[in-house]
Amino acid sequence: MPSSAHLDPAPDPRQLPSPGDAERWLWLQALRRLPRLPLEPWLVALETGAIAAESDLLACLLPHGNGAELARLLEWWVRQPDPVPPLPRLPGPWRDAVVAQRLRQLLEQPLAPQRQAALLALLGHQREAVDATRLCRLLEQPGARAVRHGALEGLSLGLAAWPRRLLRGCLERVATDLDPELAAGAVDLLDRLPAARLSLIPLGRRALEPEVAARLRRRIARRGADPLLLVVHGRSGGLVPPELVELAAELEQRRGAPVALQALTAEPPGVGPHRSENRPLGLVPLLLLPGSHVRTDLPALRANLQRSGPVRCWPFLGAWTAWQQALAEELAGLAATGQPPWLLHHPLEEGLPSRYLSHLTHCTAAVPVAAAAQDVAQRLEAKPCGAGMAPLALARCRLTEALSGQDDAMASTPLLCRPALRAVLLDLLESLP
Amino acid sequence: MTSTPSKAGAATPATLSKVEQAKADLCGLELAPRLKDLAAAGWEAMDEATLTIRLKWLGIFFRPVTPGRFMVRLRLPNGVIRAEQLARLADSVDRCGEHGSADITTRQNLQLRGLLLEDMAPLLTDLEAVGLTSRQSGHDNPRNITGNPLAGIDPEEWIDTRPLVEAIQAALLGPGGPRNLPRKFNVAVGGAPDSFLLHNDLAFLPAQRGADLGFTLMVGGFFSAQRNALAVPLGLWAPAEALPLVTRAVLLHYERHGNRTQRQRSRLMYLVDELGLEGYRRAVLDTVAELGGDEALAALEPHDGSHAVQRAPRNLCGVHPQKQPGLYWVGLNVPMGRLDAAAMMGLAELARSYGSGELRLTESQNVLISDVPGAHLAALLAEPLLQRLPVAPGPLQAEAVSCTGNRYCSFALIPTKTTAQAVVEQLEQRLELPHGVRTHWTGCPNACGQPYLGQIGLMGAKARQDGQMVEAAKIYLGGSMEGGGQLAALHDKGVPLSDLPDVLEALLVEHFGARRRTAEATAAPDR
Repeated sequence: MPSSAHLDPAPDPRQLPSPGDAERWLWLQALRRLPRLPLEPWLVALETGAIAAESDLLACLLPHGNGAELARLLEWWVRQPDPVPPLPRLPGPWRDAVVAQRLRQLLEQPLAPQRQAALLALLGHQREAVDATRLCRLLEQPGARAVRHGALEGLSLGLAAWPRRLLRGCLERVATDLDPELAAGAVDLLDRLPAARLSLIPLGRRALEPEVAARLRRRIARRGADPLLLVVHGRSGGLVPPELVELAAELEQRRGAPVALQALTAEPPGVGPHRSENRPLGLVPLLLLPGSHVRTDLPALRANLQRSGPVRCWPFLGAWTAWQQALAEELAGLAATGQPPWLLHHPLEEGLPSRYLSHLTHCTAAVPVAAAAQDVAQRLEAKPCGAGMAPLALARCRLTEALSGQDDAMASTPLLCRPALRAVLLDLLESLP
Repeated sequence: MTSTPSKAGAATPATLSKVEQAKADLCGLELAPRLKDLAAAGWEAMDEATLTIRLKWLGIFFRPVTPGRFMVRLRLPNGVIRAEQLARLADSVDRCGEHGSADITTRQNLQLRGLLLEDMAPLLTDLEAVGLTSRQSGHDNPRNITGNPLAGIDPEEWIDTRPLVEAIQAALLGPGGPRNLPRKFNVAVGGAPDSFLLHNDLAFLPAQRGADLGFTLMVGGFFSAQRNALAVPLGLWAPAEALPLVTRAVLLHYERHGNRTQRQRSRLMYLVDELGLEGYRRAVLDTVAELGGDEALAALEPHDGSHAVQRAPRNLCGVHPQKQPGLYWVGLNVPMGRLDAAAMMGLAELARSYGSGELRLTESQNVLISDVPGAHLAALLAEPLLQRLPVAPGPLQAEAVSCTGNRYCSFALIPTKTTAQAVVEQLEQRLELPHGVRTHWTGCPNACGQPYLGQIGLMGAKARQDGQMVEAAKIYLGGSMEGGGQLAALHDKGVPLSDLPDVLEALLVEHFGARRRTAEATAAPDR
């Protein structure tokens, strides 16, 4: 019986017992256990057909190879006539610059789909960000099913290495593919990405194959959601306008997790509401401007809450790109007369708040107008005739009340009471982890 | 008093094998906090020892045939699992899509396939949250501890093995348990007249001593490519409460003195051979005294090795009354032990809806739903899932056991599970059998499918057919799991898989009383 202790350190391939020989299995195991095995004679034997490329043999040889030897093996494999011999997807130094380069070269050649698919999986193993574009393209573009599946497997095997935005966009598109297996695979990969709900929840609103939709529901249900604390400005005495209370209630139902409100005008909470043992508390500032509440009160609140458990603090709402886009669309609807709409806001400090407002103005093409509640009527005298107007206020406040006497009833409507903006905000909040 | 180190166990640093060096350098358990970082870097960035050896201390297996798609082997003491635990595992398998599956193993355990390395850190956290672990389930560790799959519900049981198995596992995974054995180690506890366990390194079989029911210790059973042995009586009897400490003592001694220079000669039986049975018994007693003092030593008694296990394991499929009046266990056949996510979710739902939410896994790779009230039986038996997992499988299907095969294992020479299933189905179409026949299928000489215990054992091989080498199976006959047991002997050294149904048909007719069906019966639509 051969053992690694008794096997020649450089055994001759011609001595390998043929398949079916009772000694072959023991011989191969001894080969596998050798501390080092020069592969050159074995590669030559394979290339010349002196020995057959049986999978049991390859399983023992490959761990001994280096990148150049494996690249050579790939060349040999690609040249083999049909039927395609099994590509040795076996341990060895597959992640290697030489192998990666050879894989890219081979993938430029016209290859049968099955072979291309096998190479794409190996390319994924390389985990080189530069290959993400190729893998995403082959996954998305119409083509042989095997190739697309190979690209998906390549993306799966190198998941952590790909540029996140590119990968997320690609997978979100493939999740709606008509091939349910590909779509399901895309959903499962999205589920493995950080903050997966940001992708999964919006997917649920799109037309998916029934089995993919069912899979998506399972993923979302399993993932669950953080309890949220929505931080709002509030009114004097800690009162919270009813539209915010309704928003929180609807959001809680849609997320299937606790949602509470915290007015900055109220006493700060103790440990925070509905703390979960296994999940952080999501702290969501529904604040539209980076004023002192955002810069001072919010960090204090977060520090207070962190004493009783982990907190995941989100940027203030005004900074969310999706919110800015939605606001721009809402205001664009007010510019029907050709006059840019006015965006009324509380007077701001210089510095960050002013810079933010400049950015918002750039995004929305609205005219920012600072007005304290008591000055509203005076400021409105300068408003061009026909120009639309909206308050930069999420919920009812002194500013919206001061505007309530306007002919245009919508002029005083807080942003949260505008259906399109409310829907966007609910969707965004629902998607949070 | 401590034992003298044995010759084989005394490996010096200079002579350590690759495996021993890897274990000595770092215990795989230390990798747990680093799993997330390891996943981010990718498995190819790991050194070979971490990838192929150390991760197994966390129950994570790199699979050479599916690189990048990992396996996780759990620990399910006594094969007991709750519906919510199974549902959680089903979810993990489900998100692996076409790559995901789970196998019931011959150690009443589950192993999940198709997982990415990124899945490991969250999975291990989730396992802990639902009271499961995969710790030390592979490589040189004490493997899942088996017990009577009917423990606590068995009208025939001598003793409920569940608390004993739990206590042994707690002792082994606790601070005093082994972390660096020379090889794997199988422990089992018998509780019923059909608890055949002599293929384990350490088996506790129920045995009377005077008026007291305890356990006689059997040691040294194992299968391998080099040698197969059934456990032999150690000549000691232990009360139930002593089992955890005795197990720790046996393993501590093995950890110190097992052969670390030749892995092919390092299972416990080789140590027993080296020390002699009497010498080994003394060494075990010394280690018991070291761990538990004179009081622990006094609990052990000399024993002649006789025990209360006399029958081969029952076929557990079907509806059977429990010892609790009005309750039943329903045994379902899982073809070759392989489950997909939908079946796992379905089983969890059935256990919740019709039983107490508990399931049991058997060594014959089947599953039981326990605590089903009689009034629920009809509805349970009408469930669609039972079309896939039948309660009344054919006489070959019921106890056909199979290893993983070459779909996932690079050692296997044939696709064991699919071959076994196809052949069994063909044979059941062709033959009427007066009783069940246990077939054990394994893909290579490592014998994970326990071919030597089968009434018919089959082992993957290659054979020449029409001038070409083709996939084939060696056939073993005569394995018995009754009383002292008997290992099957080689009957045919290589039958091409295409000839296997014909050859097995003839064997079943000749040796097992099978009768060929008439042509009309074979063609009947319900066959």
